[in-house]
Amino acid sequence: MTQDAFALAALRPATSPLVAVAMVGAALAVGIYLVAVIDALVAAAVAGRSTTMRRQLALPFQRAARLLLQAPTTTEHPDAATSALASASLAALAAGGLVVVPFDRRLVVADVADGIVLFGAAMALVMVAVYLHGWSPNSAFPLIGGYRFVAQALSYEMPIALVLIGTALPAQSLSVAAIVDSQHSLWNVVRQPLGLPVYLIAVAGLAFWGPLATPDAADLAGGTTAESSGPPRLAWTMARAAVLVSASAMGAATFLGGWWGPLLPGPVWMGVKTLALSSVVILAGHLLARVRLERFVTVAWALLIPLALLDILEGGLLALVAR
Amino acid sequence: MAAYGAAVTVVLASALAFGVLVWWGRVLGGGSTASPAMATPPERVPFAGGMSPEFHAWNRYHVRYYAMALLFLAFDMEMVFMYPWAVVFVREGITALMEMAMFIAILLLGILYAWREGALRWA
Amino acid sequence: MGIRAVLTRLAGGAPQPVFAVAGEGGLPALRRLALVEGIELVSTPRAASTLLIVGRIPDALNDPLRQIHDQLARPRHTVVWGEQSFSPLPRATLVAPGEDPIPALGQRDRDHEAGEAPAMPDADPHPWRGVGPYGQGGRGMTGGTPFGRALTGRADDRDGLTLDQLPLAVGPFFPALPSGLVLHVKLQGDLVQDVSVGENPFTRRPGDPPLPAADLALFERALSEPVPIAALELARAAHHLWWLGQALAVHGLAALGHRAWRLAADVADVADGPAPFHAAEALSRRFDRLEIAVRCSRVLSWAIAGADSEGHGLPLAVVASRGLGPVARAAGQHEDARQLDPAYRALGFQPVVHSQGDTASRWRQRLAEIRQSLQLAGAAAEAQGPTSTPSGLVESPRGPITPAGHGPSHALMSLVADLVRGLEWGDAVAAVTSLDLDMAEAARPVGAGVAV
Repeated sequence: MTQDAFALAALRPATSPLVAVAMVGAALAVGIYLVAVIDALVAAAVAGRSTTMRRQLALPFQRAARLLLQAPTTTEHPDAATSALASASLAALAAGGLVVVPFDRRLVVADVADGIVLFGAAMALVMVAVYLHGWSPNSAFPLIGGYRFVAQALSYEMPIALVLIGTALPAQSLSVAAIVDSQHSLWNVVRQPLGLPVYLIAVAGLAFWGPLATPDAADLAGGTTAESSGPPRLAWTMARAAVLVSASAMGAATFLGGWWGPLLPGPVWMGVKTLALSSVVILAGHLLARVRLERFVTVAWALLIPLALLDILEGGLLALVAR
Repeated sequence: MAAYGAAVTVVLASALAFGVLVWWGRVLGGGSTASPAMATPPERVPFAGGMSPEFHAWNRYHVRYYAMALLFLAFDMEMVFMYPWAVVFVREGITALMEMAMFIAILLLGILYAWREGALRWA
Repeated sequence: MGIRAVLTRLAGGAPQPVFAVAGEGGLPALRRLALVEGIELVSTPRAASTLLIVGRIPDALNDPLRQIHDQLARPRHTVVWGEQSFSPLPRATLVAPGEDPIPALGQRDRDHEAGEAPAMPDADPHPWRGVGPYGQGGRGMTGGTPFGRALTGRADDRDGLTLDQLPLAVGPFFPALPSGLVLHVKLQGDLVQDVSVGENPFTRRPGDPPLPAADLALFERALSEPVPIAALELARAAHHLWWLGQALAVHGLAALGHRAWRLAADVADVADGPAPFHAAEALSRRFDRLEIAVRCSRVLSWAIAGADSEGHGLPLAVVASRGLGPVARAAGQHEDARQLDPAYRALGFQPVVHSQGDTASRWRQRLAEIRQSLQLAGAAAEAQGPTSTPSGLVESPRGPITPAGHGPSHALMSLVADLVRGLEWGDAVAAVTSLDLDMAEAARPVGAGVAV
């Protein structure tokens, strides 16, 4: 089994930097746009507003134009370097997580042997990016938002890492491309049913979306975004959507069989599966209230981690039996 | 190695792209009259509903969940050991499973202790 | 520049972000505006370019409002939709109370070049002060006042540590709190260690212009003349639904909150209109669906249950004795002025009561009261339906009122400080939201009152 993995890897050529940047950039750009459209559609449906598809398709561009034309603001004594660094690094981390995800059998930017570890490292640093975004304006409510997110980040780190390790067991490799290859007979969502729900909850925490939108909460007057306006505000919104897209793509690759699928080409299937996972998180965002952080932390440690460990146990036993 | 190079390139390119977006937006948003440097002091007051704050917001924030952070450190180390274990697991067979199960059981006792001692509740 | 023109045309299609501020008598009009599709009410002035002032702003709120105006992103515009010109912001566009403000808002929005200048003087509020000619020397570690503002001092914490404590005045226009409520909090981390409620800025002084129509005008009318019960109950349901929408938005369910507001607007339209109160049936069914969505959110119930019910917050007896209306009934008090009315008794009215007295109880209480009001309205839905018996006491949505005294919010305000002390910020906001305060009503004297 390991020999096959190496043989398949040999078929994948190394991508040139220009192609790499173009691929990831295009994937993120399309993903961010579609996430914005789906979010607006779901919001309109839940609110009972009637709206046309055409209006919703144009709306992300119109909102972006409005933000680009608005003037940026600063506070009295902010930390200018970290405030510039926050949105840029959040987007960069999202892109960094996406580089290890294969879009097709031979189409992956960075087929590293430990793709899951690289993804985990990128997602761990999201905590730093969001915290800096809250700390840099030197304002009370963004600061509270930043510290809230640190508690949340420390709690979702473990479940997300553990369920991804669970998917690595049948593939005997930490490389995401190998994990996708190992799902040619059966998707991991069927083999390890506990994995995807735990993963989705952790993704909601990672992208601070919906029930876990604690750093940018309404009771903090917008939290870390309370002092941002104009292009920096747009950059933050886009970066957050990029994190959601990147984590959903990883979930599609590790749980939903990646580019495997009949009829349609691989990248299309990846896109469909990524959007499906993003839509689940977006829907939860409009139907579930924002959690009370203490309660979420208790749930993450006392429920999600044991579930993830159970998932690993079950996946491991199945992998041994299937050997 | 080339793979890591591609990864680093993408990361730096995205950071650069977002930096350019913000800079271009500032230029677009009206140039010098809208530049943050031209803002008057009242425009720069942090928002707290209309009153002007008396102190800097930066302070030695009481991070009440420090006990949970220590628990996280322990589990982070467990995670580090599980990564290589996952790769050799099938090859090593049932003994690998038993050994990891013992390791995890000890750490789960740690979670149970922390939970009962109230490390996960801090308000 | 060509790109700028393209962006400007594109931006015209997006909803206009507006930071809205409600003065006296402004809340009902503002709530309707939240439903308009071209307007988006935002939670921080930095996200908006337009400041909308609805209702009368008393003099005590002039300075905070000028501060908020300056905190808007440039180019900034102001629209005043109310009864007077707002002298601190002379360049604002004025809209008369009965008119539609949307055209004025849109017109100012398109006016990209003519943004308003800052309202407050261009002077550093806390300049660097030292002793010597270069600002050096003086008291403190860095001489003078570091960076103009001081760093916070320390205070003891209940954990036995001595850490920094941040005194903060959370101002009159904080979006998650009632308009006009000022909380002087001392935060350690995000825990409110101490809190005091600022003076009510809507307190009336001699020489103030006459009061605008009350938010609860129908209930004040019922003090002296018979009013159809169906209209009263629909107005009550509409009031609670407006509260529900606002509370859902604070808890992160903005879209569901919107749905509640649309239902509230429809219920209010039926209440204000002529007699077809049989529409109450359809409205009741819509509310059923909304209530299922709200109740099914287990996560919401965790958020609401909060620290309030785990030993912090107010003891049940205090809430029961000092609370009014739904707040008291959520704490086990079987007091409802409607049960003294024979017309209500004929319809089989029994007060709804819950026993815990915490935030979750108050939520359940209001949801139950909405359902009860819609059912009563349906039962009283004939054209010559039963009318209320005028006595000196009417149960308004926030509590009982009499012809003399203050509105029910006045008594509820006294609960805020003790309720919030010791809670985390998120729990504090949830608790204050569950009280359903209106600062303008709390300051209203003769004309509406509470049986204290």
